[in-house]
Amino acid sequence: MGYDQLQALGVEVLSVSTDSVHSHKIWNETELSKMIGNDVPFPMVSDQNGAIGKLYDVYDEASGINVRGRFLIDPEGIIQAAEILTPPVGRNPAELIRQIKAFQHHQKTGEVMPSGWTEGKKTLKPSPGLTGNVWREWDPRKDG
Amino acid sequence: MLVTKHAPNFTGSAFYQGKYKKVSLEDYRGKWVVLCFYPGDFTYV
Repeated sequence: MGYDQLQALGVEVLSVSTDSVHSHKIWNETELSKMIGNDVPFPMVSDQNGAIGKLYDVYDEASGINVRGRFLIDPEGIIQAAEILTPPVGRNPAELIRQIKAFQHHQKTGEVMPSGWTEGKKTLKPSPGLTGNVWREWDPRKDG
Repeated sequence: MLVTKHAPNFTGSAFYQGKYKKVSLEDYRGKWVVLCFYPGDFTYV
């Protein structure tokens, strides 16, 4: 899941499900470690009563599970991004990495990332002069 | 809405590097964190 990239960006990972820690252990041993060639490199948290899921509004009472909620939390503890999917569809790690790079770039420079931004593409510097003039600075046909 | 707000703190038991340990979100202050919820172990997505 791009864990090496996350590490390179200084990002810690925590996974959470309503399974027991014993289930996490067995899943790591029997399946995940075989998929990735080593143990799961981050803490797998047990949320057996859904209390953590409820705090983040991702707990589904009907099925008793947490849906696929992903929260990007900055060093101040502020949630900068969230994505919530129902169970059948998995996440896209590349989009998570893109968002982390964009938020880290913003916090470092104050610049903002227009629609479709990926690393190396044009950013914008907010200023009164930019208002009404974004079209001069950013062309979605070539910069987007 | 949760974005723009402080991430709610929690403490829970975790499996990590062959051991069971307590994890608190507040211990990660000062670092970027990705918090991922998923439906269950042994699911295939």
